[in-house]
Amino acid sequence: MSKQENIQNKRKRMKKRIVSQVGNNVGANILPIVVKIVLLGMLDAMSLYGAFALLMQHKWVVLGLLLVGTGVINWIYWRSHGLAAKYLAPGIVLLLIFQLFAISYSAYIAFTNYGTGHNGTKEVAITALMQSSLVKKEDSPKYPLSVAKCGADYSFIVQDSEEQLLVGDNTQPLHHIDGTRNADGTIHSSQLQNCKVLNFSQILQDQSAIVSLSVPVSTNPNDGVLRTSDGQTASAYISTFRYDKSSDTMIDTKTHEQYRDNGTGAFVNDAGVALQPGWRVNVGFQNFIRLFTVKELQQPFLRVLLWTIEFSVLSVLTTFILGLFLAITLNDDRMKFRRLYRSILILPYAFPAFLSALVWAGMLNEKFGFINQVVFHGTEIPWLHAPTLAKIAVIVVNLWLGFPYMFLVCMGALQSIPHDLVEAATLDGASRWKIFRYITFPLLLVSVAPLLISSFAMNFNNFNLIYMLTAGGPVQTGSSMNIGSTDILISMVYKIAFVGANRDYGLASAFSIIIFLVVGLVSAISFKATKSLEELN
Amino acid sequence: MSNKLRNSSSTHASHDVMTSNLTKRKFNKIFVWLRSQGWRHIVAIAVCVFAGFPILYIFSASLNNRGTLVSSNTLFSSISSDNYYELFHMAQHPYAYWYVNTVVIGLITAAASVFIGALAAYAFSRLRFTGRRIGLLSIIVVQMFPQVLSIVAIYLLLTKLGEIYPFLGINSRIALIMVYLGGAMGVNTYLMYGFFNTIPKEIDEAAQIDGAGHARTFFTIILPLVSPILAVIGLLSFISTVSEYAVASTVLVSPEKQTLAVGMYAFVSDRFSQNWGVFSSGAVLAAIPVVVVFLFLQKYIVSGLTVGAVK
Amino acid sequence: MEVFSTRRIMAIIAAASTIALGLSACSSGNTSDTSSSESKNATITVWADADHTAALKDVASSFTKSTGINVKVIQKDLGSVQKDLITQVPAGQGPDIAIGPNDWTGLLATDGVIQPIDLGDAQSDFEKVSIDAFNYQGKIYALPYSIENVALVRNTKLAPNAPTSWDDMVNTAKQANAKYPYLLQIGDQGDAYTMYPVQTSFGSSVFAQNSDGSYDAKNLTIGNEQGKAFASWLSEQAKEGILSTSITADIALSKFEAGESPYIITGPWNIPALKKAGLNVAVSAIPSAGGQPAQPFVGVNGFFLSSQTKNKIAATNFLTNYVGTEKVQEALYKAGGLPPALSSAFEKVAEDDFVKGFEEAGKTGVPMPNVTEMSAVWQSWNNAEVSIVNQQGDPTQIWDNMSGEIQKTINK
Repeated sequence: MSKQENIQNKRKRMKKRIVSQVGNNVGANILPIVVKIVLLGMLDAMSLYGAFALLMQHKWVVLGLLLVGTGVINWIYWRSHGLAAKYLAPGIVLLLIFQLFAISYSAYIAFTNYGTGHNGTKEVAITALMQSSLVKKEDSPKYPLSVAKCGADYSFIVQDSEEQLLVGDNTQPLHHIDGTRNADGTIHSSQLQNCKVLNFSQILQDQSAIVSLSVPVSTNPNDGVLRTSDGQTASAYISTFRYDKSSDTMIDTKTHEQYRDNGTGAFVNDAGVALQPGWRVNVGFQNFIRLFTVKELQQPFLRVLLWTIEFSVLSVLTTFILGLFLAITLNDDRMKFRRLYRSILILPYAFPAFLSALVWAGMLNEKFGFINQVVFHGTEIPWLHAPTLAKIAVIVVNLWLGFPYMFLVCMGALQSIPHDLVEAATLDGASRWKIFRYITFPLLLVSVAPLLISSFAMNFNNFNLIYMLTAGGPVQTGSSMNIGSTDILISMVYKIAFVGANRDYGLASAFSIIIFLVVGLVSAISFKATKSLEELN
Repeated sequence: MSNKLRNSSSTHASHDVMTSNLTKRKFNKIFVWLRSQGWRHIVAIAVCVFAGFPILYIFSASLNNRGTLVSSNTLFSSISSDNYYELFHMAQHPYAYWYVNTVVIGLITAAASVFIGALAAYAFSRLRFTGRRIGLLSIIVVQMFPQVLSIVAIYLLLTKLGEIYPFLGINSRIALIMVYLGGAMGVNTYLMYGFFNTIPKEIDEAAQIDGAGHARTFFTIILPLVSPILAVIGLLSFISTVSEYAVASTVLVSPEKQTLAVGMYAFVSDRFSQNWGVFSSGAVLAAIPVVVVFLFLQKYIVSGLTVGAVK
Repeated sequence: MEVFSTRRIMAIIAAASTIALGLSACSSGNTSDTSSSESKNATITVWADADHTAALKDVASSFTKSTGINVKVIQKDLGSVQKDLITQVPAGQGPDIAIGPNDWTGLLATDGVIQPIDLGDAQSDFEKVSIDAFNYQGKIYALPYSIENVALVRNTKLAPNAPTSWDDMVNTAKQANAKYPYLLQIGDQGDAYTMYPVQTSFGSSVFAQNSDGSYDAKNLTIGNEQGKAFASWLSEQAKEGILSTSITADIALSKFEAGESPYIITGPWNIPALKKAGLNVAVSAIPSAGGQPAQPFVGVNGFFLSSQTKNKIAATNFLTNYVGTEKVQEALYKAGGLPPALSSAFEKVAEDDFVKGFEEAGKTGVPMPNVTEMSAVWQSWNNAEVSIVNQQGDPTQIWDNMSGEIQKTINK
């Protein structure tokens, strides 16, 4: 009796047993409802809590999304029909939040100039510009400072060189008051009735407000403003730039030259000089256009694309062929030690993959690694330093990492192929090769093809292996993009986004969107081609 | 032996023929054995060497008390437990925490992934609804988005989420699990879907005729029947969680909350080959839970992975 | 009205209890709006790499003890510190303070991620080179913490005296039957920084220097004849098997520890490990390989202040009133082995022979450029040296290509 039939019979027996059990327990349907109420109740409580938090923070859009989302979930579970949604909702909610958000965010970034010099919002850029435009007045003394809260606003109380007390705030320039400031910091003054001088830990409670305080030294703006950065001393600064909010321009305080926001994400003067840093703006399809028109990008892109395809195809093929071959080899019930072999063969898969890549990098070290020192008796083979060898090394290491998975997959697939088919063919006098070629292999392919496709997609984006084994190297001289021989598209994207002086996150996002479209499309088409989804209709 | 025989029996022609027949038969026997069984062992042993030697190498390095890359090339040249001792006594590198975190995060993620995936697979396999075909395809394709750049998005998302729900912010292990669960539906669901399809529909129909609700059918009847694929998916998701580096290194900031992947990488990235011995011992220990679970579930994996897909 | 204020935080600590009493008396007479929040202490977050984390932990906890300001030191690997600063700070996240080398200054400032630090009068208390190192467009962007440069470290058992010349060094090594005449790390990714003193000994520099010592980023000099001479030398040494990309920083160190060479060109950060390994070592200036003086890069580590910090006062106090003090700079030196940037602390530890040796080697040194262009330079530069050592073509041609590449990136 074949295994398949055996399973079928078992299931039939089980079915009978189950049916009789169910028959006894009708009416005990209260449990699911209780569970449902408890779970939904917890979810709603969480949402309510979040809604209040969002309300306090005035984040209306997120609040709206949260409420709608919670409403939809409740609706799904309280209505009596729409069973599929009830089963799909948990996975889809998490998918929407964590995966689709990431994809949409990248898609959004792909249309911006996010990158070096255009990293944040306009507010962040203005803050940074104002911070770096402050110049300390060279003749300014360092005043001992006390900070006081007068009504709702903060004031500076400083002591000048003649031990006179001066007070001022954002609008009121420094002016003398009577009183004394003791060496230990205490202040005696009759003119500060509405004020409460803060101690250090109180200053720490509202640091942002206090460091942004700028108290004019006098009515003459050229005397500068007092500012503090440590809460205990203040000095006079002059700003080389002034931001004019109404006209949205940065004005050089000396030359009165204007730097305007010209829409490219920076303040630019008439001569075309831009102030750094700028900020992030929408640039439309510019990144995508650059992908296809800039020469410096095109050439490495095509080379890397070619290698990426080679790499992922070869990775799938080598692992599949070795895995299949092993599965056929071990697929003989008479064979001894099968379990032992199987256990050893799956070890590479069980070993944490990120560690394996590092271990291989060590073993492949040209001068001191195990492979050259022991296996090749001290020959210095540049495994990771010569372009072609490095490519081979990457494939071999990936073969090591990946064949056990394919081995298991094929082994299972072989066992589930009906024995009678093979037996019939053998009786007809077909050779072993013919049986494999015309019966076993096609049947096997039907079952493993979808796994091969997803393995292809996985390898296409196998950043970890490349990054940990070769970091893309060996580098190629003459390309200004620092792209190495073993760089695949995704490691190239990483380099564009995070390495070097001109990091271009927008361009990298555009790249990854394109990669996603290509891989997704190829996979979708292949899935259709294998008709693996055909049975759905 | 055959030579000896040949020499001693040279005078007896008939004997000679006999022995040569004997040797021929012997060779034939070996040949037959080689053809049917022997080659299998040769192939298996060869590939076992390929599969096993890096692991043997790591194990040897972990016992080597000199502990540098250069000194680890002679296998088992010295046996000491110094590296293992050192591993648990590193300042700034709480290996024991990493270990526990990894196992706990891995197990929770695996269990939850299996549950979410099974729910979805049940819906795709048993229920008829519009967008079913495209839905299954899209959840597989969505997982193919290159993760490298989504890191920044995930970082931003978690910081914002943390402002509302502090336990879901950056540096939270729960948040990391949630991010992993975002990918719970995918190829895994497809694998399960295939297996669910092999369970005859009459089983749940019979149960429903007898008055069981859909939830009852799912939990008490279907789930036990598909337990092999549940084991497989659980294991696959455990392995990939344990190995995951990119997201975990973004989300988990403080050393005592990190996983093995993050901690071990930070530990070796600066002084790679000098810490080789300690690193190796860490890697050996890290592999143990996965290997144990793997060997334990081996028979499920063989049947679970493909019964469904073949159908 | 009589209210307490502070002059220095240290004063608070000294009189902590008294003031606490006084405060409570005071605030009871005033509004009570701050009484609840006072218990919440400010926390500043510092990002540091593994080496600096160890050195900082004790210092940070004693700062917390004395001021009540919590310091959270987060360990990250050096590469991700820079990357994460750039992605996280503009989103209003990231640390208040990050430790990094001075060559980051240009890029971080261009991205608006860091802000200038007001060192005030204390500025003159630091070694001039360390202040210059963080001077970007006229502003100081970090509190200098340690000064480092590479020097020639020798194993005194194999080479008792400092070499008088490059040939003397090679001969001594030969007599000691050493496998390598000297150890110089490169690694897969290249190491132009460690190589620089050898390169400068051929008279080759990256940029031309202005009369005041600052770099003229418009005037790239790396591609001249002296540079090509250095490239040829690199190639020859690699052919002889002395230089190899297999020799990473830590392999070089373990070879040195194993006595395979009497000499290694390395920095002070490796001294603690060598001491621990039980080696007797001495430090001296690097002899010239090409005839001109060997000028190592002088790199300075410093504490950058995030432009988006919400704890500027606490962070500034931590930096200027604490990390910048002699006691703390000394403590950091003891924990990390890097010569301090504060002059008074430096002089104290300069008694140490090692520090003296590195200072000797650094006397001819040049500050590591901090212009934004620098990260483009490093990349091409490292890549070119790797290619030459791996014998991937004519060395002068590779060098020429590199120079062109850098020029192109700078012009962008």
